[in-house]
Formats: sequence, structure tokens, C-alpha cells
Amino acid sequence: MEVQQFYYDNKVVKKFLYATMFWGIIGMTVGLLLAFLFIFPGLTDGISWLSFGRLRPLHTNAVIFAFVGNAIFAGVYYSTQRLLKARMFSDFLSNFNFWGWQLIIVAAAITLPLGYTSSKEYAELEWPIDIAIALVWVAFGVNLIGTMIKRRQRHLYVAIWFYLATFVTVAVLHIFNSLALPVSGLKSYSVYAGVQDALVQWWYGHNAVAFFLTTPFLGLMYYFVPKAANRPVYSYKLSIVHFWSLIFIYIWAGPHHLLYSALPDWAQNLGVAFSVMLIAPSWGGMINGLLTLRGAWDKVRTDPTLKFMVVAITGYGMATFEGPLLSLKNVNAIAHFSDWIIAHVHVGALAWNGFLTFGMIYWMVPRMFKTRLASVGLANFHFWIGTLGIILYTLPMYVAGFTQALMWKDFNPDGTLVYGNFLETVTEIMPMYWMRAIGGSLYIIGACVMIYNVVLTIKSGSKVEDELAEAAALTRVSSKRTAGEKYHTWLERKPIQLTIFATIAILIGGAVQIIPTILVKSNIPTITSVKPYTPLELEGRDLYIREGCVGCHSQMVRPFRSEVERYGEYSKAGEFVYDHPFLWGSKRTGPDLLRVGGKYSDNWHLNHMYDPQSTSSGSIMPSYSWMVRDEHDRSNIRTKMETMVTLGVPYSQEEIDNAEALMDTQATKIEKNLYSDPDFATNYEADKKYAAENGIEFIEMRDREIVSLIAYLQRLGTDIKIKDVTETVTIK
Amino acid sequence: MSVIYLLLGISIIVAIIFFIAFIVSVRSGQYDDSYTPSVRMLFDDELVKESSTLRGTKQTVKSDKKSQSKQIDCSATLAIENKKSIQLNKSLNN
Amino acid sequence: MNKNNCYHCGEDCSVTPIHFDEKIFCCNGCKTVYDIFSSNNLSYYYDLQAAAGASPKVVQGKYDFLDDAAIIERLVAFNDEHLQIVNLYIPHIHCSSCIWVLENLNKLIPSISTSQVDFPKKTIRIHYNPEKTSLKEVVILLTHIGYEPYISLDDFDNKKKDVDRSLLYKLGIAGFAFGNVMFLSFPEYFDLSSSKASGGEYWLNQYEGVFRWLMFTFSLPVVFYAGIGYFTSAYKGLRSKILNIDVPIALGIIVLFVRSTSEIIFDWGPGFFDSLTGLIFFLLLGKFFQQKTYSFLSFERDYKSYFPIAVTRILENRKEETTQVHNVKRGDRLLIRNEELIPVDGILINGNANIDYSFVTGESEAVHKNSGDKIFAGGKQLRGAIEMEALKSVSQSYLTQLWSNSVFQDDKSSKFQTLTDSIGKRFTIFVLTVAFSASIFWTFYDPSKVLNVFTAVLIIACPCAIALASPFTLGNMLRIFGKKKFYLKDTQTIEQLAQIDTAIFDKTGTITTAKKSIATYEGLELTKEEEALLKNTLRASNHPLSRSLYELLAEQDIVTLDEYEEHLGKGIEGSIDESNIKVGSANFVGKIASDDAKNTAVHISTNDMYKGCFVFKNQYREGVAEVFKEMSETLQLAILSGDNEGEKERLEALLPKLTPLYFNQKPPDKLEFIKSLQNNGKKVMMVGDGLNDAGALAQSNVGIAISENVTIFSPACDGILDATKFKELCSYILASKKAIKIIKWSFVLSLMYNVVGLYFAVTGQLEPVIAAILMPLSSISIVVFTTIATNILGKKLR
Repeated sequence: MEVQQFYYDNKVVKKFLYATMFWGIIGMTVGLLLAFLFIFPGLTDGISWLSFGRLRPLHTNAVIFAFVGNAIFAGVYYSTQRLLKARMFSDFLSNFNFWGWQLIIVAAAITLPLGYTSSKEYAELEWPIDIAIALVWVAFGVNLIGTMIKRRQRHLYVAIWFYLATFVTVAVLHIFNSLALPVSGLKSYSVYAGVQDALVQWWYGHNAVAFFLTTPFLGLMYYFVPKAANRPVYSYKLSIVHFWSLIFIYIWAGPHHLLYSALPDWAQNLGVAFSVMLIAPSWGGMINGLLTLRGAWDKVRTDPTLKFMVVAITGYGMATFEGPLLSLKNVNAIAHFSDWIIAHVHVGALAWNGFLTFGMIYWMVPRMFKTRLASVGLANFHFWIGTLGIILYTLPMYVAGFTQALMWKDFNPDGTLVYGNFLETVTEIMPMYWMRAIGGSLYIIGACVMIYNVVLTIKSGSKVEDELAEAAALTRVSSKRTAGEKYHTWLERKPIQLTIFATIAILIGGAVQIIPTILVKSNIPTITSVKPYTPLELEGRDLYIREGCVGCHSQMVRPFRSEVERYGEYSKAGEFVYDHPFLWGSKRTGPDLLRVGGKYSDNWHLNHMYDPQSTSSGSIMPSYSWMVRDEHDRSNIRTKMETMVTLGVPYSQEEIDNAEALMDTQATKIEKNLYSDPDFATNYEADKKYAAENGIEFIEMRDREIVSLIAYLQRLGTDIKIKDVTETVTIK
Repeated sequence: MSVIYLLLGISIIVAIIFFIAFIVSVRSGQYDDSYTPSVRMLFDDELVKESSTLRGTKQTVKSDKKSQSKQIDCSATLAIENKKSIQLNKSLNN
Repeated sequence: MNKNNCYHCGEDCSVTPIHFDEKIFCCNGCKTVYDIFSSNNLSYYYDLQAAAGASPKVVQGKYDFLDDAAIIERLVAFNDEHLQIVNLYIPHIHCSSCIWVLENLNKLIPSISTSQVDFPKKTIRIHYNPEKTSLKEVVILLTHIGYEPYISLDDFDNKKKDVDRSLLYKLGIAGFAFGNVMFLSFPEYFDLSSSKASGGEYWLNQYEGVFRWLMFTFSLPVVFYAGIGYFTSAYKGLRSKILNIDVPIALGIIVLFVRSTSEIIFDWGPGFFDSLTGLIFFLLLGKFFQQKTYSFLSFERDYKSYFPIAVTRILENRKEETTQVHNVKRGDRLLIRNEELIPVDGILINGNANIDYSFVTGESEAVHKNSGDKIFAGGKQLRGAIEMEALKSVSQSYLTQLWSNSVFQDDKSSKFQTLTDSIGKRFTIFVLTVAFSASIFWTFYDPSKVLNVFTAVLIIACPCAIALASPFTLGNMLRIFGKKKFYLKDTQTIEQLAQIDTAIFDKTGTITTAKKSIATYEGLELTKEEEALLKNTLRASNHPLSRSLYELLAEQDIVTLDEYEEHLGKGIEGSIDESNIKVGSANFVGKIASDDAKNTAVHISTNDMYKGCFVFKNQYREGVAEVFKEMSETLQLAILSGDNEGEKERLEALLPKLTPLYFNQKPPDKLEFIKSLQNNGKKVMMVGDGLNDAGALAQSNVGIAISENVTIFSPACDGILDATKFKELCSYILASKKAIKIIKWSFVLSLMYNVVGLYFAVTGQLEPVIAAILMPLSSISIVVFTTIATNILGKKLR
């Protein structure tokens, strides 16, 4: 227990900082592009990998896992070492963590635009990448816990607890949500179906927000805010209490994302109840953060770092107040599927995560490069333009959400919808989309200014090197030598070992528990009339997933008069028993598609896909012309069907054997339907002739992607179009 | 719907882990002093390599900031001002 | 910071500032500390907080006893050849600078590996290598840098106070289980509309069992670990034939558990597990809130906390050795150094004894003793070293034997019955009558429901809210008082305080300030020269009286005396060119001994001609008169002073008419006096300071110690009042009376809930939901009510 000297690893922190800023810009830019796609749908016309449906997941993943993720690592690696007075457990793991994470991001940036997606929000990445994520994450955890074991500071500062919670929970969430059966190298089907899948997804989805965007940042807040303000946190006691209560409650709140869905009522109410309770611990954190700065407001006025942090914490307060509010059924009835939610998440993302990250960067960079911030003026500019950006982004979105939601529910005296055509409700809010785009641009400009400022700072500073520090190792005092006093490190290491073992335990235990749920035919009250998708429809469904249609179109009709009137019979849990994965969606930029089957002719769909505005003028849906042209590779159908069978979908062996034949017949039938439209017939024949003359090998319509998609769309919801279905409960 | 019970199981298990962690950390006296740590974390403890030759590595960054301050005056003074403003919330004592 | 304030400790250094390194220091001590810090790159200390330091006073050989292996073994928390760990109490710890410098000790002594401060407790835990350094070195280092640890006989007895965290565990378990059980029972509530009978909700019926048995499992640790305290306490109560509040609670818990369990076994319903866990959780929460401890105070101090661990014994061969105080025997020769405490009664052998007994007798001025005089334990030698011979051992000494008195053994809390318990009795009887009469009714009306009703009554009537009322009210009061610098031992003290009808005050140090005293000059006018001469003469002397007189006199320009002589125990003499001055006792300056021996006076004569004398008077705390006036309206008052009657007239002038005044009261007398009052059925509050009041404080129903510096000296007591708040004392007493009123009101409130609940119970229609709603609702509303009420009360206090 002599005093030892050691170096804090600053290099890895620096790398993460760079990554944070780089991916931040990327992710935000993609977001901005999406914002403009709302206004100019044709912006990336015909370029499949730049279409809205494929970029949306890229945006969410880039900002959450690339920008915020790297920020978390940067902050954690910086603070953990100093709080525990020890270098990170293993430099190899640190670097593995860094490079692995960047690799994953790159992989995501490639696969998502190419349409390889599981379509589960914030978990879109396909199974090989999921495994990689699990690996890297565990590496991070081992590194963190290892550092805790060899720490030289007896007390574990509250921030460390937050980091630990983050690691454990995210690991568990990720693994259980990503359980899927692979079909091919980059294609898999979720092991859960319909309602179950939805529940798991949002249990994950909510907790991903809780434990990836909240707890780690609370940890960072508890380190960097006191540091920047140079005064101890307002009440350390409170911070401890609020940590433990947060941990115990947060995990339950998931189901509030599925209110009025086909999820059992009591499960929904459960979500509501716990979401409401959440407000207490959340605000505990916010108050603690803000009060830390009480009496230092003079410094806040001068120091941009603190300014960012103040807004960040305020944003957290607003978001965590709005969350419980939104989980109240009657509020949710309005807000769900609308742009209100977009506003809500962006308050959290732009203010809480974004601004805290910026504050952190402004604080860390000068210290690590042993210099001063190049320009406080620019930092202040960044702050103000950023704040303005947030306001310009969120306020219009609230208005938009409200307006549209109300229009959806607006009835004429005679009981018909005032805005029967969904498009009317879209055109109404275009101005808001404009403002949102502007707000977003301002925010990004701010971020770029920061990068410039940071570059200048780095130039002026000396190169980053690991800092030397010294502290004595913790002394192991054998228990009996000093009976009565409880300060033994071996005891303190217990929680760490516990967490390791317990995590492993859960993974095994969880796996054991899950196998039956996968293999045993899920005991949903099934509806006799509900049948599995035909091979062609299944392929079509995969196209629907590939193009990310779920990003704008829900497949969940809630039991409201307005929705039943607009879309048809409300959803029953039984309808989704064969949906691996579920495609309920969470946003209605376009109308719900659950009951779209048979609503329009096949030709309508063809034309709509080729040029949406032609069928519905003023639509902001981009064109999916490539689907009309490209041949559809359906070679995998047998494996797909077999996978489905393992997941409990009752395909008979002969169905699987004649899959191709079945597809051909259905495709040809659709092709025939298409001929019913003279224009189509003439154009199509013309193409065919032209191809023949120029010896271009011609793709029969029946072999094209569009046909499969039409097949799927026409099937949607038709199973129970028959009036007054009775849910016959049958457990097989 | 069996999956609900799976999630329920996992959630409870996770909760229990944290609960055990809580009990053990209380036992090990982690929360006996619920104030000093919040001040301790404010002190930077980096030493400066170069100066280790000067006086057997007994030179803290702060003193280094000072020596800088001879050259880059304002930076150090800034640092000092910050240090000055540390206050304890004595409220905790009563 | 003011420029002529010490850079280290911030004291005004008007007298002789020391200039060093472009900074000024009040004394060499401060300068040295600064030097140590700056030369070890610890000057960041001054950046953290300006003038955080204290000027060190090092007493030669004071810590020699730390060489004694036996003593070290007792002091250190852990000890082997390579490592010693010691916890030291350092009163001076007060700001972040302290934390920082103390945790960087190894920059001063490399063989100190770690040092960790516990700020709230003002303690430091030091790991060091005994091969390279020693406890003594460490302590001396701390003293050198102005952080003198406070080591007393108390530490020697080293009773390891093992922090009891069981309540925290129980609370944790109850809370955790409560949360989960609530989570598990919600579904059934939300699904009431379609209960199993009416088809019900598919999944729920499917998995009902899982939910219910999980709830059961969660409730087990709550009932059998977290809740066990209530069973034992109820059992104890019944054994001693008292129906305390825990009896109905325990009853409620048992019934809740048994009924709920049988409900799920026989599939009657979900049971009341949420109410059960919730109930226990809230109760424990109350308990937890109630125990507010001031980790930096101690209410259990006896003489041990003030006595040194060891003294220097002089052997026949004039050799000195340190020996443990406990080993001092009759006839030992002891060396008492400057500022050291006299551990045992004895006879002064030689040396110029100037002993401050204020701590023991309340006598404010130091007394001078000549060799052969008897000197008593607890006195503090003020100037130079003296040699004495022990007449008694420590435990038999005049002061210390006070603690052999029984009052220090038994704790008064056991005797006192709290408001809650007193109501518990009636409540239990009431509940049981209701339960039985209701079941009797049902036996005739519809026997099938009897059991249901009976249990339901006991469940719903479980006095959770009542049990919460007083913990939250008093707990909150305790905190409010704490903020006002009125620190109470426990919530019970507030209840006691509310009942007192008599208040007894000690004089010196309690209603007078220990610090400044005022002197009035009586006699012939002094000329300018004489004043100058006087001031300069006094300047040379360091007798306490001279010093205080020096401070009182007007500024004079400093001149060096031609002659200066100090006559020990008599006075001082100084002269500049022709004029000479004598300052000291009456006969020393040549005045015929006069009657006013009661008052401390300094007599003056110039050129052998008597001029007059400065008479010292106690300075009374501000607002004494008001406090007494207010109190006299509701309470009987009296003064018990260890002092002589010198102040009688002034006191009578100051205090309300006919306030009984008793002087020359020895500690045992005070104790007896209070006892006699109590025997006449009086509820007595004793307000005092110093060890001489310890007996009285312990004997009284409520013993309040007044302290100028709460962190250091205060005898065993129930409450410590910061001297600056003395004038508020009365308002605090009234506040505690009001607090009791609040409790009574919340009793009424919670009884109303019980009535509502009982209605459902008696009519046999108690659904788990109702219980689940009613129980937390009542508890929470009580908590809210009491908190708001007490805070309003607190607002009024100053």
C-alpha cells in the first residue's frame, strides 16, 4: 500500500472525443437531409440508398449510438480513471472498445442505406452487427469493472454507479431484444411475433432511452457539472437516493409505448403507473443538477460550458416531465403517432444529450491539450444559435403534432371525418416542417462552429499525453484483525463480482427461459381466419421492411371511432401471430396501412410506388421507382419459410416445397390484374419490345419487386375484413 | 403473451442484482460519509511528468498552473479564481 | 481579505505582524505552516479558501505519551508491522481546504500512504507505515500545520462504535419488496372490471398464480426481517403489561400476512400483500426519519472526553516518564505543563500554579496557588509547568467521582412514556372491541363473513398513520432546531421539553459569556503618562488578568520599560524614567485588604501611592433579562452558581423579582437540588455548561448545555444550544409545545381514516384495493400535514 505512480489514459479519451464530433456532424446532417425530404420529397429521387425509409434508421442510429455513444465513452473513460484513481483496466480493451465501436458504426452506415434492417426501432442493425455490439459492449463492461477492482479510491462516486447500471442494463436489453433467427448473412426474423415482439421491442426501446441516453448522462452530469462549476454537487445524499430509486423504477415503464395497442390493458396500465412514478427520481436528478449551480450564476453568465450544462439539465427536466405526461392514456391518445413525439425526443436529444456533450467537450478539450479555449465568443455563439435551433425545432413540431392529431379526430355532424383524406392533414403542417428544417440547420451550424473552435484550440495547445498521478493502493485489512469496523476492500469488491456473475446468470437464465417461449407455439388467442402469409407476400413483406416503410406508416388501428372510421376495424392481438417482426410502427407521416389490403387496385399501387404524386397529389412520399424496375431475388424463400416454421408459423412441408410455384402463380395473377389498365399494358409492352430489339434481357413484371410488395399490401388486414369477428381463444 | 413473464423475470432479476449491490455497498460503509466524496472529486490530482525531476514528483498540476502563469499569465489566474470559489454547503452539517 | 490580517489564519495581526514572502502573519506558527505548505507545493490550500488555517500551538512534550506502545495499541484502528491505521478527531476541519490538505498528508510525510477525511464527523483516517514513521510524528505534524487532533481518555477506552445500519437494510428490503409487490398487484386492480368470474382477462387468469406467489415471496423477508422489530417491541410491551402502539401494529401485520397467504392458497383472492409491505415500509421510513444524528456532536461526553490519556510522572531519580492516567497512584509526583489539565486531586509541590477551574466549578477567573495548596482534578494550568503530588487516583478525584453517581448509569428515555404509546393503549382496546362486537354481530347475521370481518377490522385499523405522526413531526422539528443551532439528542427530548415546568440555570458560562469581561475603574483619575505606563507594563505580562485588562485599555504608543519585574502570584511592577507603577493584588500595591474580596480586581499604585482598582465583572449574554422575563411567565426559574455571591446584586437587578439565586453550589449539590425538585413532581430543565453541571444535566428531565463552540466542549446532555442562540431558548420551548399539538391533530386526522376504513371492514366489504388505497393515502397525508405544519412552525423561529 505504498504510494504508486500511474498514468491516466488520455489518448483513448481523445480518440472518443474526435469520434463524437465526427459522427455528431454526420448523424445530424443525415437528420437534416431527412428534414428536407419532408419538404422536397424528390430530393434524392430514384436513389434507393438515399430514400427516406432507409435513411431514417441511419439518422437515429448515428445520433444515438455514434454521437451520444462515443460521447458517453469519452466522458466515462475520462471521469472513471480520475474518480477511481486508476488507469483503465486494460489498454487493449480500451482500444478494442474504441475501434470495435467505430467499426460497428461504419457497418451500420453501410448496411442500413442498403436496406439491411430488422425494422425494430433503435435495433435496426442485423444480427452479425448485433453480435459485434454485444462483444464490444461486454469489453467495455469488463474494462470498467476491472478498473473498479484495481481502484485506489475507496468510495465509489455516484457517477460510477450510473455507469455500472448503464453497462448491465443495456447489455441485458440488447441481448434479449436482438434475439433473432438468421435466414442469411444479413437477414433474420425476430424470435418473437406480433404483440410479443412489440412488447419486447418497447421494453427495450424505452429502456434504451433510459439506460443509454439517461443514466450514463446523469453520471456525466454528476462529474462534469461540479467540475465545471467547481463546487460540490448540491446534495450528494439526494444523488444517491435518486440513483437507487431511478434504477428500481425505470425498468418497468416500457409498455407506455403501446397504449391502446393490442397489448393487454393491464400491461398498458402498468406502464402508465410506473411512468408516472418516474417523475420523482428524474426530477430529483434535475433539481440536484441545477441547484449545484445555485450561487454560481455569475459564473454561468460568463462561462459557456456552464451555459450548455444549464440548458441540458433544463431539457432533461422538461423531457422527464413530458414523458409521464405522454404516458397518460388520454394524452397519449392524441400525441401517439404524431409529430409531438418527434418534438419530445428531440428536446431530450438536442438539449439533454447534445448540449451536455458540447459542454463536456468545451470543458475537456482545453484541459487535455493544456491550453485555453480558442474563442469563448464562438462558444457563446454556438450556445445561442444552438438554443435557438432547439426552440425552432421543437415548438413547430409540438404545433404540428397537435394540429394533425386534432384533424385526425375531427368529425362532421353527420358522423363523417372532416379530413377524410389523410393528405389534407399533411399539407396543413408543411410550414411546421419548414421551420423544423431551419431549426435543425441552426443547430448543425452551431455544432460546426464548435468543431472549428475545437480545432483552433487543439492547434494552440500541446499534444495530449497521459497524465501522471499518484495514490496509494487500497489496503487489504483482514477482517478479524479489526473486528467491528467495516472498511474491507474485499467486501467492497463483492458488488463488482456480483454484477459480473449476475449478468452472466441473467444471460444464461434468460436464454433458458426464452427457448421454450420460442419453440412452444405462442399461446396467443388466435383468430381462426388469420392465416400465414403466402410465400410471395412474405417476400413482399421483407421488401416493406427493407425500404423502412414502417418509419412513416403504422400498422396499428387503435380502438377510436376516428381511427376505425378512417382505417377500418381496430387491431386484434390475434392478427399479428405470424408477424416476425411486428410492424406496428410509431409514427404516421403517412396513413395507417393495417387495413390497406383491397382498398386500391394493383395498378394504383404500382403507379403510387412509381410516382406517389401521380395517384395522390401533394403527397410527400418519395418515389420507389427502383422497385418497379428491379428484378426480385426470391431465391431464399425456402429458408425463410423454414425459419418461420421453427418460429411457430404453420407452413406445411409441401407449401415449402412448392414455394416457387406458389409465388409464380400469385405473381402472374397480379401481372394479369395490372394489364386491366390500358396505359400499363401499352407502356409495358413497349418496354418489352424495345428490350427485345436492343437485345436487352427483359425482366418480366411478375419477377419484379413491385409485384411482391403489391401482393403483401393487398393482403394486409384482409384476414378479418369479415364483419364482427369473434376472438376465439384457442391455445395450441 | 408468455413473453411478458420473461421480461418480468428479467426485470426482477436485474432489480434484485442492483438490490444486492445496494445492500453490499451499504454494508461496506460506502454511504457512511455522504458528503466528503462530493468535495474530494473536485480536486485534480494529476502530477506533471517533467517536474518529477525537479522535486521528487511532488509537484501538483496546480503549482504547474502557477508556473505557467508566470508565462501564460491569465490562464493560471483563471484557474485560481475557480479554486477560490469552491464553497461547502454547510447546510449538511445541521 | 483585509491586508493586515494573517494570510494563514485570518486573525488580525495588529500587535506584531511577521512579514514573509510578501505576506503577513500573526505569529510564527502561522508563518511556519505557510512555509511548510508552500515548500511542499501545498499552497493550493490557500487558493481553495483564503485564510483557512489555524495558528498551531505546540506544547513541548505534550504528545510524548504516543511513544508508549500500550497507548498506541489502544488508539489505532488497525496495527501490524507494516501498517497502522488511526482515526483522529480534528475539531478544526471546516472547509474544502482542510479536506484537501489533510488528504495530501503524504506529501509531507511520504510514509503516510493514505489519509481520508470524513467531513461531517470531522475525523481523519490515516494509513501509515510504522517502520518509517510513528503515530507521534503524525500527530505532531498535524499539530504543526494547525490541525491538532483531539485525543482524550475517551479514545483510550476506545469503545469501537460499530455503526448500526440494520434499519437501512430493513428500509431497503421493505422498499424494494413494496415496489415489486405493487408492480405485481397492479394488474389485478386494473383488471377488476373483468374478474375471473366474468370470464376475465385472458393472460391474467393464465398467470394469476405466478403473480400471487411472487408477491408472497417478496413479502416474506419484509415480515420476518424488516418487520420483526414490531413483534419484539410488542412482546416486550405486553410482558411489562403495557399496551404500546406496536401491539396493534404487530397484530395488524400478523393478520395481514396470515389472511393474505390463506387467500392465495385457497384462491379466494390476491391478498393484501401490497398493503402489508407498504405498511411496514412507511413505518420504517418514519423510524428512519426520526433518527437524525449530528455526527459532529456528542451527547455522551463525560470527564473522559476532556482528560488526557497520559501524564508525565517524575521518578525519584528526577527522571520523567509518561504513564497512563489510570495508573496514577496516590503519592506519585506529576509534571503538569502549560495548558495541561490536572488529572487528579493533589498537592502543589512547586512551580507557579495558576489554575483555571472555570470548567469544573464555573469559577470564571483563574486562581493562584502556592506550593502546599490543594489542587483539584479538572483544573487547567495556565502558565508554565508545575509539579504536584497525587492524593487520589483519577476515579476518586473530586470531579470524577461525580460520575459514580447512579444518574449516569440509567438512561431516562426508558422511564418516559411517549405520547404515541400512551394513545396506543386506548387505541388497541378500541380496535379489539370493534373487532369482536362486529364479529359477534355477523355470527348471528351471516356467520360465513365473521372471519372476513374480524380480520378486516384488524387490518384496516392498523395504526400506521398514528405511528407515523410523531416520528415525522418530531423528526422534522429536530431538523428545524438543528438549523437554528439548537441540537437535540433525539425526538423524545422534544416531548420532554414540551412538558417542563421548571428551568434551572447555571451562571458562569451559561448566562455569562466566557469570553469578554468588562472592568470598571474605581479610584483616582489616572494621568496620561500613568495610563501609557500601565498599558506598557501590562503588555509585558501574560497573566490572564493583565492580558484582558491590556485589551480593555485605550491604545498607547509602545515604549520600552526601563525596569520590569513580575512578582509571582502578587503582581507586576514597571518603571519608565522616574515614574514607577505597581499592578496586582491589593496588599501587593500596599492597600489595606478590603471587603470586596468577592470581586476580582486589579489594584494600581504609582510611585508607591495607591490609585485605585479595576474591578472585573461578568459580561451577561445579550437578552438574558428578556429570556428570563418570558420564561417566568410559564416556568419556575432558579439560578445555581458555583461562583461566589459577588454578582448577587447585578443578577437581582437583571432577573425577574424573586428569582431564587443559589451560590457556591458544588456539582453534587446541583444534582441533589434538581432531584429534590423532581421528587416534588416537577419536570425540570437544567441549562448549564462545563463538567460541573454534568450531574445536574443528567439528573434533570431535559439537560441543555450552552456552548460557545459546539464541536468541542459540552458535557453529557440531551441538547446543545449554540451560545449565540441563547435568547431564543424560550421560543424553542414554546415551539416544542406546539409540535406536540401538531401530533395530536394528526392523530385526529388518522383516526378519521380509520373510521372510514372500519366502515368497509365492519360491513364486510373490504376489497384489497380499498386497503391498498386507504393505507398509503392516510400515511402520506399525515406525512404531508405534519411536514407542512412543522415547517410553518419553523418559519416563525429565529
